[in-house]
Amino acid sequence: MEPSNDVALDIIVTNVVSVFRTRCHLNLRTIGLEGTNVIYKPEVGKVLMKLRKPRITASIWSSGKIICTGATSEEEAKLGARRLARCLQKMGFKVRFSDFKVVNVLAVCSMPFQIRLIEFTKNNRPIASYEPELHPAASYRIKNLRSTVQVFSTGNITVTGPNVQSVASAVEEIYPLLFECRKTLS
Amino acid sequence: MGRCKTCGGTDIDVDQARGVAVCMGCGSVLEDNIIVSEVTFVESGGGGSSAVGQFVAGDASGNVPSLGGNFQTSVGRESRAATLQNAKRQINHLGHQLQMNQHCLDTAFNFYKMALSKHLTKGRKSTHVIAACLYLVCRTEGTPHMLLDLSDLLQVNVYVLGKTFLVLARELCINAPAIDPCLYIPRFAQLLEFGEKSHEVSMTALRLLQRMKRDWMHTGRRPSGLCGAALLVAARMHEFRRTIKEVISVVKVCEATLRKRLYEFEDTPTSELTIEEFMKTDLEQECDPPSFTAGLRKQKLKQIEQELAKKVDDIEGEICGYQDEIEVELESCRPKARGIYASCSREDDVVSLASSSHLDGEDDELRAAASHLCGENEEQEQDGERVSLTKRPSLSLLLGALPTSASLGLSESITKMGEEKENDVEAEGGELDLSGIDEDEIDRYILNDKEVKVKTELWMIQNADYLKEQKEKEERIAKEKEEGTYKERKPRKSTRRREPINANTADEAIEKMLEQKRISTKINYDVLKDLNKSSPKSPTRQPEEASAGAKRTPAARQRKPQLTSPDIGKTVSSFGKRLQPLVRAQPSKKLALDQIGSSVPVATPAVSAQTAVVVESGPVAYEEHADEEEEDEEDEHCVSAMQLMGGTSDYGYELDDDDGF
Repeated sequence: MEPSNDVALDIIVTNVVSVFRTRCHLNLRTIGLEGTNVIYKPEVGKVLMKLRKPRITASIWSSGKIICTGATSEEEAKLGARRLARCLQKMGFKVRFSDFKVVNVLAVCSMPFQIRLIEFTKNNRPIASYEPELHPAASYRIKNLRSTVQVFSTGNITVTGPNVQSVASAVEEIYPLLFECRKTLS
Repeated sequence: MGRCKTCGGTDIDVDQARGVAVCMGCGSVLEDNIIVSEVTFVESGGGGSSAVGQFVAGDASGNVPSLGGNFQTSVGRESRAATLQNAKRQINHLGHQLQMNQHCLDTAFNFYKMALSKHLTKGRKSTHVIAACLYLVCRTEGTPHMLLDLSDLLQVNVYVLGKTFLVLARELCINAPAIDPCLYIPRFAQLLEFGEKSHEVSMTALRLLQRMKRDWMHTGRRPSGLCGAALLVAARMHEFRRTIKEVISVVKVCEATLRKRLYEFEDTPTSELTIEEFMKTDLEQECDPPSFTAGLRKQKLKQIEQELAKKVDDIEGEICGYQDEIEVELESCRPKARGIYASCSREDDVVSLASSSHLDGEDDELRAAASHLCGENEEQEQDGERVSLTKRPSLSLLLGALPTSASLGLSESITKMGEEKENDVEAEGGELDLSGIDEDEIDRYILNDKEVKVKTELWMIQNADYLKEQKEKEERIAKEKEEGTYKERKPRKSTRRREPINANTADEAIEKMLEQKRISTKINYDVLKDLNKSSPKSPTRQPEEASAGAKRTPAARQRKPQLTSPDIGKTVSSFGKRLQPLVRAQPSKKLALDQIGSSVPVATPAVSAQTAVVVESGPVAYEEHADEEEEDEEDEHCVSAMQLMGGTSDYGYELDDDDGF
């Protein structure tokens, strides 16, 4: 069989890391004591705030920078970030939602065949590396897309990239390479 | 020397002094730089002979002795040579522990040189880089060494070494071949001590391992686990009793890993073959990877759960139908009861039929019992309905209370504050899009005043240690600030010390010169005479000093008996005695200065001065007692004056000068 466009691969985004700034100093102690969904860690100097809908965990620093993790889409990440900003506004801070951007995206994709990792590594020697003593997957790094693909023998792929478009492009780029190294009997 | 290349003649003249070989026939120069390669010997003093010169190893770049000192060698070369020497020594040390041959060690050293030239050793420990180079050689040469062996020797995390190894392999463009678990079988077999059958067991284990590779068991797994499982099975095949613990200690793998590999092997069709069949035949079919089959099992479980859920729904539907039928039948029983009661009333009237009345009575009893049961069931149902009715308003009350308290009390004020902040934000220019944001949901994230107090108390309790540490830090900072104030006082001392050193006027310079002369007055008697000659000058200064104050009058009084004394010997002895208390007075002044510098309370210098006074008055004779007492009074005046004047040392100098004169 040859790779055809009719094959529909489901790319499931499992994690999105985003960053935004409030452009004002935040009193972490006030946030820690006035919020119910808050864990204040004075040793580290940050506050962990968790939202239920969307399910997001935020690291809040006193400088006003906030890191949101756990969203499953870029729209969800932005919605969660705006809700966080609204919560901080209601606590008494002059929050100005600015500089929101998605930093990292983690996605999972399942190929319809199994992959010979040793052959895959030989064919893509300088870019792909496979060390069974360190990690069960072969890692393939795409520099222009700044993405890393972890290839497992079962056909599952884990893609890490700066945004969703890069992740999709990485999957498109690596599919023909994986198809060449698929298990022949199935 | 051979023949001439141009004319073929054999008459060649060789001049050893100039190193030239010339053909005597045609005059062509054959060689002009002949090197003497003979080994020459020199006789030593004891009669023996020793070879001239020394051997230089080709690979010892750092140990070459330099002629004429180190003037021409640069610092960089020395440090580079030292680094390479250390690396080579460590590589040899590690290599011998791993029992590697010299060729591998030399290759590892070359890898280290390449890494050093590319600056890959910066930011990493040298031991890690050296271990990574050795592992790189193991992979390229195919030696049966694992990364775990190196980490075990160096007591370093495997993944740290692995990361360094990957970086080196990538930067040096070395393509290490994939790990083949078969490499480790002979090594582990030897360690398990199978004796004469070691080779046979190894071959069987290799066969098993190849079968495992074909069944996709090796992909993504560490080779040592597979080797352990294969060796265990092969040992059992050859009737060697090797326990799992023994294999684990050799292979350095956890017991759970080994058991898991055995279970995975058990799932393959090869495990169902007998030993003879396994040795003879080769199955052609391959199995899916174990993780793949695990994934399939999970999917099947999910499907089964879904089917069970559907069946449960269907059964619930059927049960509802049965309930309806039962209720219908129960309702149909009620009119029958009415009939029974009617028949009972009729029987009361009829008395003649005794036998028929008995039979009818029995049926009536059964029907009555059934009717009673029906009645009880109906009552129970009514009670259940009442209970459910009572529960609903309580839930509604509970649900209603929370929003009322939130909305009436806090939510309004919070919304007002929010509106004000929104206005501020809009005025500042920041934009916050509120689409998709539920205000009520966000309100639930914020605590009210009482809740804030409770949480504050809990937080204080949980973070008591942290708060104590913070307080201690603040105290330390305060102490440091106080120490800082002490540091500020020290430069003042230095400024004070500098003032007397600088002579602003000629008089001060003269005074300092006189001080220097005093030290020599003990030896030089002529100077004493000069001092006597200078005695008529003293009355010229007396009126000035008298104008300064009455405190200086005792000094003037002391000078009068000096003038009245006629004998030179007495004057000399008096000078000596006066110089001694001056020498004693100087350390007391220094002590006073030190005390002032140390910022001790004011009371202590007086006490120390008193003690000094007491010490000085101890060994004094009676005749000289009066003079020394007067001198002590002068010291006291000096101290008190210094305190009053703020501790200026010029006053001390003036007094000393007066005493001298």
